[in-house]
Amino acid sequence: MIDVAGILMQNILYVILITLGGVLISWSVHFVPVGGAPAAMAQATGIGTGTVQLAAGAGLTGLVTAGAMMQVTNNAALVIASGAVGAMIMMSVTMIVGTWVYAYGVGCPPASAKVKYDPITKDRQDLYVSQGTEGHGLPTVSFVSGVIGGALGGIGGSLVYYALMSVENGLPLADLVGIASVFAVGIFFVNAVIPSYNIGGTIEGFHDPKFKRFPKAVLASLIATFFCALISVLSIGGL
Amino acid sequence: MSAGGSGAAAEAIPQNNIIAFGVLGGLIGIYGAYFLVGMVGQYMSFIGALGAICGMVWGAAAVRRVASYGLGTGVPSIGMLALGMGVIAATFGLAVGGVAGPVIALIVAAIIGLMIGVIANKILNMGIPIMEVSMTEIATAGTITILGLAVAMTGTFDFPVVLSQVITTGYIAVIFIAGGLAILHPFNACLGPDEKQDRTLMLGVEKGAIAMIVAGIVATTNPNASGALTILIGIALWYVAFNGFYERTKRDAYDVVGAGMLPSKEELE
Repeated sequence: MIDVAGILMQNILYVILITLGGVLISWSVHFVPVGGAPAAMAQATGIGTGTVQLAAGAGLTGLVTAGAMMQVTNNAALVIASGAVGAMIMMSVTMIVGTWVYAYGVGCPPASAKVKYDPITKDRQDLYVSQGTEGHGLPTVSFVSGVIGGALGGIGGSLVYYALMSVENGLPLADLVGIASVFAVGIFFVNAVIPSYNIGGTIEGFHDPKFKRFPKAVLASLIATFFCALISVLSIGGL
Repeated sequence: MSAGGSGAAAEAIPQNNIIAFGVLGGLIGIYGAYFLVGMVGQYMSFIGALGAICGMVWGAAAVRRVASYGLGTGVPSIGMLALGMGVIAATFGLAVGGVAGPVIALIVAAIIGLMIGVIANKILNMGIPIMEVSMTEIATAGTITILGLAVAMTGTFDFPVVLSQVITTGYIAVIFIAGGLAILHPFNACLGPDEKQDRTLMLGVEKGAIAMIVAGIVATTNPNASGALTILIGIALWYVAFNGFYERTKRDAYDVVGAGMLPSKEELE
């Protein structure tokens, strides 16, 4: 059997970093403008897919870019920054292409139904919301919010990956990359689903009233990720 | 009634029987494949995939039960959660457990699942009465799915082999998506006022058979496992399950008619 207490004492910093990463992922999901099925029919503001898919997309892109950076350097700041930029690019591309589809394909202007004036551009919103819908497209504030969400998710994802890769172990590099990615993906999915149950369907971004619910998801993720972090550090450290 | 968001789902087969089927079938499949590959020959690795299908059917039944209350978001989220928890528990169990690995993995999965169920009800206030039980079931079912498919791919659950043949090669992503699909898709596809338990579970078997075929294809690259028998049994099982699903769809539908081809441009004028 493995030396449980010894491994945990040696890697307590990484357990904390993984937990922090999970909490960041959970918080980041609240920034992403998720519209779900209604948005796919241009009947709600946001990107037309579920929270989990978006968070997973952004987080996994962050993980890939962080992994690519780790091939070059072991500097934590660079790895985390590259993860954040990767996730931000992924989120921005998704949103800009979505906006093109809404503007030129569906033929509706980006408009938020949750606020009367866009908090960033101060443009009037309610006049442009079609009857019977919850807004449509991605107004500026949702776009900015989504990019912030991407950055936080990417930082969280790369933090988890970096911490897992740094745990002391006797594995060859290829196997370590494999097992660290698997744990990072598992932790990511758990932390993407918890906030999506907290949000319950759609959210427009940080100006949405539902955004205020985030402390509950952060607390839930803190507990769940801490446990997952213990398990993953134990299994990598024990090899 | 079992339309999404309307309360408890009607059950022809009691959930306890399905739990027993999933746990026992899954463990027998995983251990059966492990020991029989050593004793009889590598072609016995297909039993692992059968064990995985037991887990998938159990997972699909648990998703059906909990998602009937309405999750407030898409059903797929819970399948991803199942595999997310499952992959952590499975890797941990195999890494520390040796021969007892799968059992340890199931116990860890149950603990993570129970914890997330309690969090969902106590902190996120989801208010689903069976959330704790269902999350435990879903996490455990996800773990059985991952372990079973990994055994079908490699013929063993020795961690170094699984690590180098399944995780490092990236086939774990295939398990993740194919197994997740079998757990999340059946209820997602069948939900509605006319949802019936046997139809949903039959779709679960069908999706499981597809995962089995995929695992068989991966197994052909492995010296320790044999893909041919896994693929053949998977195709046969898929055929039976798809026919069963189609029969039940016809049974539950008011009428099944052919819509014909779309009219051509000339016919419309």
